[in-house]
Amino acid sequence: MSRVELLGADDAPLVARRYYDEGDPGPIVAALAQVPEMLDSTLAFIGAVLGPSSIDGRTKELVILRTSAVSLCRYCVDSHSVVALDTGVVHDEVAALRNVEAAWTATFADPREAALLGWVDAVAGGRGPVSDESSARFKAEFADHEVVELTLLIAATLMLNRFCTALDLPTATAVLDRLRRERLA
Amino acid sequence: MTVAVAAAVADGVLPGRVWIYSNYHCNLACSYCLTDSAPGVAKRALTADRMVRVAEQAAELGFDAIGVTGGEPFLAPGMAGTLARIADILPTIALTNGTLFSGARLAALDALAGRDIALQISLDAADPDVNDEARGAENFAQVIDAIPKLVERGIRVRLATTVGDVAPHDAARLCALHRELGVADEDHVVRPIVHRGRAAERAIGVHATRDDLPAELTVTADGAYWSPFGPTVRDGRVDTDLLISRTTDPLAVPAELLLRAVEGRPPGTDTTLNIR
Repeated sequence: MSRVELLGADDAPLVARRYYDEGDPGPIVAALAQVPEMLDSTLAFIGAVLGPSSIDGRTKELVILRTSAVSLCRYCVDSHSVVALDTGVVHDEVAALRNVEAAWTATFADPREAALLGWVDAVAGGRGPVSDESSARFKAEFADHEVVELTLLIAATLMLNRFCTALDLPTATAVLDRLRRERLA
Repeated sequence: MTVAVAAAVADGVLPGRVWIYSNYHCNLACSYCLTDSAPGVAKRALTADRMVRVAEQAAELGFDAIGVTGGEPFLAPGMAGTLARIADILPTIALTNGTLFSGARLAALDALAGRDIALQISLDAADPDVNDEARGAENFAQVIDAIPKLVERGIRVRLATTVGDVAPHDAARLCALHRELGVADEDHVVRPIVHRGRAAERAIGVHATRDDLPAELTVTADGAYWSPFGPTVRDGRVDTDLLISRTTDPLAVPAELLLRAVEGRPPGTDTTLNIR
């Protein structure tokens, strides 16, 4: 049960209605619709950062899912487990990213992805300055523009993580069904 | 973009009046009330300074008139003085049930004399029983008593008749009555009950969509709306379907969003139901 009313199509404010044209827009939009002037700018930002860009979809989903797991966002972990699977991240990888109690190093041996996930854990899981060691490993594998974009992706995901967690947004039934079928629930 | 708002008002693309919901509580509980107003409901009140600020910003943006409505605005302390301040900024109409004008409240209305303001009072029938069935016991008598007092003070009075249906002979009696009370024909407005708020709960009134309603920017404590028929209340919840923005200061935020929503709407679509 969400902590705020999630506006349905009949209650959608004028400037929010186009987001309902193709059916249920999901709880993030249905919550944001409470403040309709925030919708366009917020969704444009989220779309630009989390959506297709010069960085491939698998890499971005690794970041989003791991960040969400580290910040213990149930809604984002569930939703992006499905997105990750659909993007080609395999079951064992998704399971490893979701599990913050065990190391992912055995699953992600590729040095580039290992450096990336190390950076995610340092940025999303830490407080205060990020260590030079994490930065050095990450920067050894990624160009500066990638460092900037992927760090922005972690930060934007953290914003969504706290938003979805604080408002206790409900996971879609279809997502839960898929996770059960995938033995990830 | 704010220049675009002024141009849109000047060109008639946006209506010139900005409405302000001063408060939602009321001493009456009319059967068709859009806002489910009554004694004891949440006040959702704007302060006097906030209302004046809306009027100032409306003038800066190029709007050319203000409407104040509620609830019953005159339940708010100092409302006559607030209206005088607003009327000094833009021509103003204030909607009232006209039942509170005695004693100090009546004397305070002297502040409105000579200013560009009209008080629009509701009276739904020439027959007291018919009127009072919808608006409450003694309402007809109170309104009939109040109007001449306002006219005598040099305050322009408009009369609003909100009806499901009005027979020609009833309309003729009502018009004879308002003329007798000193209210001119051009100051008598007849409009339909709109199927929102308490009217919707009672399954009465005409169904109005966004395109049936003039896009009059409306400011409330809960945000800005497409029309004064937007921030209606049902089961204690303010409707959101005609919400424009929660931000109302600066007023340019909802004004620009409203203009964006209006652009492209076929002209004349808001006049078919005579909702005003």
